[in-house]
Amino acid sequence: MSFIILIAAGLIVPLFYRSNIFIAKTIAVIAFLTAAYFIYQGQSLNDIFPYFDLNKATMLMEFALLATLAAVSVSLTGFERPLIAQMLFLAGIALALLESNNLFLFIVLFEAMAIISYILVANIRNFFNAEGAIKAFIAGGVASGIILLGFALFSFVTDSFNYANMNVNGKYTLIAVAIMLAGIFYKLTVVPMHAWAADAYSQVNHAAAAILSGVIKSVVLVATFKAFYKFLIAYPLATVLIFSFFAILTMTLANFMALWQKRISKILAYSSIAHSGYALIPFAAAASIYSYAGVLYYAIAYIFMQTSVFLILNDFRREAGVKYLRDIKGMGKRAPIHSLFFTIQLFSLAGIPLLAGFLAKAVAFYSGVDAGLWGVVLIAALNSALAVGYYVWIIKHIYFDEAENNQKIEMSAGSLISQLILLTGTLYFGIVASGILGATISF
Amino acid sequence: MIALDIIFAPIFLSALVYFLTRNAQQVTKYIALGWFVVLFFISYNWLGQIMHPENYNFSPEILQYIKATGFLPLGEFLRVPEFGFSLTLQIDALSVAMLMLTSLLLILVVFTSWNEKYQAAYFSLLILFSGPIFGVFMTTNVLWFFMFWELTLVPMLFLVGIWGAERRIYAAIKFFLFTHVFAMFMFIGFFLLYKQTGYWDFTLIKESALATPALIWWLMFIGFAAKLPIFPFHTWLPDAHVQAPSSISVLLAGVLLKMGAYGLIRFTVELLPATTQKFAIWMVIFGLLTTFFAGMLAVYEKHIKKMVAYSSISHMGLVVIAIATMSYDGLSAALYEMIGHALVISPLFLIAGWLHHKTHSWYMTDMGGIMKYAPYAGTIFMLAGMAALGLPGTMGFVGELTIIISAVKSFGWWIAVIALGGLISAGYIIWAVRRAIHGEPSELVMKTNFSMSFAEKFALAAFAFLIIYFGINPQPIFDVANQAFSFLGGM
Repeated sequence: MSFIILIAAGLIVPLFYRSNIFIAKTIAVIAFLTAAYFIYQGQSLNDIFPYFDLNKATMLMEFALLATLAAVSVSLTGFERPLIAQMLFLAGIALALLESNNLFLFIVLFEAMAIISYILVANIRNFFNAEGAIKAFIAGGVASGIILLGFALFSFVTDSFNYANMNVNGKYTLIAVAIMLAGIFYKLTVVPMHAWAADAYSQVNHAAAAILSGVIKSVVLVATFKAFYKFLIAYPLATVLIFSFFAILTMTLANFMALWQKRISKILAYSSIAHSGYALIPFAAAASIYSYAGVLYYAIAYIFMQTSVFLILNDFRREAGVKYLRDIKGMGKRAPIHSLFFTIQLFSLAGIPLLAGFLAKAVAFYSGVDAGLWGVVLIAALNSALAVGYYVWIIKHIYFDEAENNQKIEMSAGSLISQLILLTGTLYFGIVASGILGATISF
Repeated sequence: MIALDIIFAPIFLSALVYFLTRNAQQVTKYIALGWFVVLFFISYNWLGQIMHPENYNFSPEILQYIKATGFLPLGEFLRVPEFGFSLTLQIDALSVAMLMLTSLLLILVVFTSWNEKYQAAYFSLLILFSGPIFGVFMTTNVLWFFMFWELTLVPMLFLVGIWGAERRIYAAIKFFLFTHVFAMFMFIGFFLLYKQTGYWDFTLIKESALATPALIWWLMFIGFAAKLPIFPFHTWLPDAHVQAPSSISVLLAGVLLKMGAYGLIRFTVELLPATTQKFAIWMVIFGLLTTFFAGMLAVYEKHIKKMVAYSSISHMGLVVIAIATMSYDGLSAALYEMIGHALVISPLFLIAGWLHHKTHSWYMTDMGGIMKYAPYAGTIFMLAGMAALGLPGTMGFVGELTIIISAVKSFGWWIAVIALGGLISAGYIIWAVRRAIHGEPSELVMKTNFSMSFAEKFALAAFAFLIIYFGINPQPIFDVANQAFSFLGGM
């Protein structure tokens, strides 16, 4: 039911783009709320089609997703309006992807989401946007090819694509899964498949980047874990080696790259890549009972904080032309409330307690310790501590430096509301952990 | 519920206080002062409940629990049953001593920063700081302990970074990164504790259930050592303490360093006694290195606040040695020295910062004859300095004496070399007094206007009073120590 509502709303919304964007936003928000209501009632795609199932953990992720997308749509203005319809389509596909129970559907929906992401980034205003969009598109195309190759190989050795009945011990299964994961790693921006993301996230329109780096990545993270869980369990040694190696490589390289950057959007892009590294630790620790909790917690925390920082950056860019670190100097005086939101979300990304980012890291890292990988976790923890360097560097520019001009910046009410929604998510999941852990423990 | 409120209310309401009082800046400090006084009386009340539980209307089970464990239960919140995890608030005599010290210092800090700029932001951050610092001393859950521990860094980052001296930004970021990075070792240590025992609550974790106690001990020790700070991990401290405004140096030295010592007592001596016994000699070695190394640096230093900062590190080395004895006497001495260090080093920091504020010079070579032009500050500096070098009748004497006695009892006569640490401190303090306070007035001093506000004078007088009061009558602190360390076989 929720799927149909979202797609229908996505088809209606463009009619109001020219006349009144407020009505378009209202329709979008109502569609997100109704979808959430039907999910709460347990009537999502599982009601209509087989191959989908809805459990408590998926539900939580879907609520986080819908809240985030509603927040994004409230904050949009001007030429970003095409995003509203695209987000509604994206929400529908993401719900299907999260609920799907079948590897074939996973691949198809994954491709559908990739196509929507190409349309999202194609909102081109200048050369920079175009460069980022082209990179996202080409990298996505390559990733699709690789995934299909792996999937084709896998389809020779299995009788069923249902997660429950897949044949995980076939002759070529390991290599097929490795190839599929290589393709998915493009979307998860795992080093060395990350190169497109650093440019795409920082150069496309920031609102699109918020969805691309925050929303799509978290959805892919959770869906991938659900789809590949059986393989991860079946090949414990390969799982630990592959995921530990890529986790350490990703976070270390991305953190060091982020330290050099001067463009704020590029810092956030590399920070997003580094976060993929932390999120891979529960994959490596799939043997632990906390691994799914780790992935889900990470995805939920990440969707709020990453979306929020890019949206605030979008506001700063639109109202004050902020691009580089030097442009953000003294922002604490010019836009105190948004600076506070920005600071809190950056602290959350850095993993400061009482914010979702900390508990997400704590659960993800604990799953690693639980699986006996405390050495890997120690490296990850040190990495995340060093990463505080560049987050604090942004905060230093906001609060400790004097502004070049002291003009106050007026922020729209929509942006304030959207930030409040995202902040509520960050704070709630930073203190109350029982929901997610309770929902995932039976996985 | 009151226990939960005094931790979370400041964390969530401090931003509100800021936005409400932004246009009436002089109001914020009264709100902060009122809040800290409330905190002081709440902790004082808890002290009474722990020292004499029979005088209060507790149910028999709770009374039994207090008698058996020494902990006063304050409630259990935010349960996560799947993880065996909850915010457990319990306090014993040691934590209450720390809570009283913290709230006392916070009250005095409001007075010493009476005329600070951007008051709304400054005092809101102080209020924010009071939440997690109380949480650190009140929770017995190791993960929440870690969360509050990390959260104290956030207000400190801003307080040092915005109100500090010339190199404040470098110092603030270095402080934040340094303590955050080393805390991660502790974080992994806590995870291993839970993995191997199945409990998050440190009153339930038993050493016998641990598979790798040595690894956990070292991981935790590195975390606390960086906070204390112990010799190879100390480099953040001179920067942070010097660049911070002097009121914040008081909090850094008086409260944040005590978190390290508190953690060391809780997580090594109480939690892993057998392993600590094994590695006690390493603690002694690190403690001695810290005392002598920092003492030597202080002798060499011309920068007055850096001299005080190194003296602070040097005294924390003594605390580590006292903790390493793992005896009732040693830990009592450590608790006494922790409180004594906070009260003695604070006026030194305050006057060093005040001198810089007035003369715009950090260097003792530019000063001289302060006594003639600012007799009040000069006298208190001398008094606190004498306490730092261990003059009888002050807190410094009792602290150092009890530490030396307990260390000799535990490790034999050779440990009496720490008395040389006292000798070194006599060297730098007396030389500093000679150069800066007495001597011929320099030109810089002669043309400076040394005026001190009443609030600052009041705070300094309070420190001086406490130094002498507890120096002559140390019994109240040892009573608390007796209650706190009775598990080691007290009196």
